[in-house]
Amino acid sequence: MSETAHQDHTEKKAFLVNSSSLKEVRTFCRDVFEKLHIQQDLKDELVLAIAEAAQNIVKHAFKNSADANELMVVQISCENDKLQIAFYDRGTPVDPKKVKHRQIDNVKPGGLGTFFIQEIMDAVEFKDGKKPWINHLVLTKQL
Amino acid sequence: MDYKVENKGNIKVVHLTGEIDMDVADKARQSILPLIEAGNEVHLNLSKVAYMDSSGISVLIESKKLSEQKKTKFELIEVSKPVEKVLAMARKFL
Repeated sequence: MSETAHQDHTEKKAFLVNSSSLKEVRTFCRDVFEKLHIQQDLKDELVLAIAEAAQNIVKHAFKNSADANELMVVQISCENDKLQIAFYDRGTPVDPKKVKHRQIDNVKPGGLGTFFIQEIMDAVEFKDGKKPWINHLVLTKQL
Repeated sequence: MDYKVENKGNIKVVHLTGEIDMDVADKARQSILPLIEAGNEVHLNLSKVAYMDSSGISVLIESKKLSEQKKTKFELIEVSKPVEKVLAMARKFL
């Protein structure tokens, strides 16, 4: 945990649901974490976790075939040194019980990505998405 | 992401640069796997890779598995700090 208090801050941005957006997602996160003065090592880890979650939306919630205008939203909030990252999408409903690591001999990006997310974040929670959203994933980390 | 292949005797050294994510993983895969498929020993230099996610790790695993099938070698010769961190995390999973 960092000893420096981080300013309360919230930002959100919508991205097209496709793999080309992942770089934009990372850039958005880096910019927000810069404003929050999060130290480099932690920033790298958080960017990885967020990018893996966004990748899972593209790859699993939409099976790599989202409509051209389909959007996902990433919201980063920091309040009382608690970082909360929310993802909203309108893909196939996620069954949290089925979100797990794969076996060693069957390593695919999704399984390893989920492992990275769980390693980096304090909590991973799937909530019911409120209209117009279907999936609402929340990652949290105490700074 | 860009790549360059350097010949060092019988070894093909593949240099990847930039960021490796799902969007460019196939390009990374295509820069490495055909060389291994052809029976070459391949060394991979990731010293100029600023970011790599699980898609990149997947390419490394596929490359290693293919090199074993082809009874040749696939080695990482240099990695950047960001890549080393991701590899360290992946080792816990693998």
